[in-house]
Amino acid sequence: MRATAFNALAVGLGILAGLAVVVYAGGNIGVALSSLFLDPIKSSTGIQQTFVLFVMFYTMALGVGLALKAGLWNIGAQGQFLAGTVMVFVAYVYLKFLPWPILYVAMILGATIGGLLWITVPTILRVKFGANEIVVTILLNVVAINFGFYMLSGPIKSPGTALGFPITTQLPALFQIPNIIGSIPITYAVPATIAIGVILYFLVERTPFRVKANTVGESTETARYAGISIPRVMTITMLTAGALAGLAGATYMMGYRYELDIGSFSTNYGLLAIIVALVGRKHMLGIGVAAFFFAYITFGAESMAVATNVNSVVVFAMEGVMMIGILMGNYLNERRKAA
Amino acid sequence: MTVPLSDVATAVLSTTLQLSPFYLFGGMGEIVSEKSGVANIGLEGIMLMSLVTTFIVDYETGNPWLALLASLGTAVVIGAVFAFFSIQARLDQIAVGLAIYLFGLGFSLIVFNIAYPSGLTPNYVSLPPIFAGWGTVPVIGTILLKQNVMAYLSIVLVVLTSLFLGRTSLGLRVRAVGENPKAADNMGVNVTKVRFLATLFGALMFGVAGFYFAGNFVSGFQTNIIAGKGFIVLAMIYFANWKPYPTLFAALSFNMVYALQNEYISIAGSTVASVSTLFNMLPYVFLLALIPVFGRKARAPKFLLKPYRKG
Repeated sequence: MRATAFNALAVGLGILAGLAVVVYAGGNIGVALSSLFLDPIKSSTGIQQTFVLFVMFYTMALGVGLALKAGLWNIGAQGQFLAGTVMVFVAYVYLKFLPWPILYVAMILGATIGGLLWITVPTILRVKFGANEIVVTILLNVVAINFGFYMLSGPIKSPGTALGFPITTQLPALFQIPNIIGSIPITYAVPATIAIGVILYFLVERTPFRVKANTVGESTETARYAGISIPRVMTITMLTAGALAGLAGATYMMGYRYELDIGSFSTNYGLLAIIVALVGRKHMLGIGVAAFFFAYITFGAESMAVATNVNSVVVFAMEGVMMIGILMGNYLNERRKAA
Repeated sequence: MTVPLSDVATAVLSTTLQLSPFYLFGGMGEIVSEKSGVANIGLEGIMLMSLVTTFIVDYETGNPWLALLASLGTAVVIGAVFAFFSIQARLDQIAVGLAIYLFGLGFSLIVFNIAYPSGLTPNYVSLPPIFAGWGTVPVIGTILLKQNVMAYLSIVLVVLTSLFLGRTSLGLRVRAVGENPKAADNMGVNVTKVRFLATLFGALMFGVAGFYFAGNFVSGFQTNIIAGKGFIVLAMIYFANWKPYPTLFAALSFNMVYALQNEYISIAGSTVASVSTLFNMLPYVFLLALIPVFGRKARAPKFLLKPYRKG
């Protein structure tokens, strides 16, 4: 209960920071508050975007959280996500001869494999050479953006657009993830993502794997002493994290954007997923709650920015403040428990 | 049309020398910080805030030195926030670093937009080359002497950092609190204070790096303008095994690869336009390829990322 109060306080601080900016820039505070809290549920666009963000955050943060259990920081979810978005179109363009349902699955699988491949390098370097995964995953984020640019300017570029205009063709309706109920813009990606979270909950939180991963995360010496295969735990958690981030690339493209351009490169969902994983305390279901909350706040804040003429990057500043507040709350709470 | 090889060499070396100082300031700051056991991965957030401060103060006063001073002020304030949460409150360093990065990423543009709502700004006044008269002298003038004073200072900083960590008693204490804070504490070293100082020094250097970015990398501010270059510093000091001179080598070779591919693209022009982004990946792939070579030996300070609790 106390933890909840602290978290609410932290979120309040973040919101205050955002409102301060709005007021300073001459925006109307009533408009700001109403768009922040009501826009995510008021319009069909709001509902759609909130759930898209939820799916992005939950899918990627599950992987980040899993790796974090084993003490590994996957700062590269953004790069793996981009590799996934690119692979959706690689499959779509180069496997076009396949019949519809097979190609549909191939696109999703392709994205997952893309994310998996993208994290293979840091995984091998970490497990075989002991190279720091933070450094390598950060480097690969930059490489992913350049790789994406290259793919967009040639191999998966739409043939119809002018030279130097990097964008793919739009996926036809057959390859879009449909809404569950007619006109309500919530796609099948939402229940699918929740299902993945629940499955992971049973596979991770309810089996000895949780203890194994936590032991590796807390002390490799203890893990070695307990006879846990450290390379195995590290490889499983890292590869799963990459695959999930890649999968998020597929749901983003097939469930929302339908075409890839450089706009998707600057989304930063991969970084926000790290906050979500931390706020959800690395718990496979807790991350789901955190993901929904951050999806709501992120869309609300973006909407507030638009309504009050403040640049939408204010969201990052607000979430930075919230993140420190939440960490601080966790810390104070644990200290109180310990005392 | 063929371009004389000497022109290419001049351009490549001059670009290398112009860009490397950014990584050297950042690198020396992060080395000192991490040697004390505190990894600041929010460095790019601090750089962004310092960069925007630099631009605004420079635009308003026309004096780059005042801009430097202001950017240092910004850096030290954010650095103190980082230090408080990660050292005093003992929160997870990576998490606090990410929060600082996100904050800087968002807030830098907000500040810029508030200062210049229309986006129109005065011209940026950069530091002059210190040996302006030598600009036309081949090799010496066109490569070595055309940089501004900060570029030369960055090399001095590498030497000083090496001496500081290796030869001074404060340097020894910095390393001690990163390797074995308990023992250092028993010897009477104030672990928290030393870590604070090291982290603040790091933040100051990120401020200088942010200042250096203006003029040498970009002439105006945009969102996310540093685009991951600050994070690259983390990779460089890792390959350099937290040592100043190898970091100098890493920065120079990384930027040489960057300058080479850049020069190649600009000479080859449209014939490689479609694959130019593949060439842009080269410096990063080069760094990655160094990992199995140098990363094996790399040994982080033993208590890096670990908060210290007295008693």
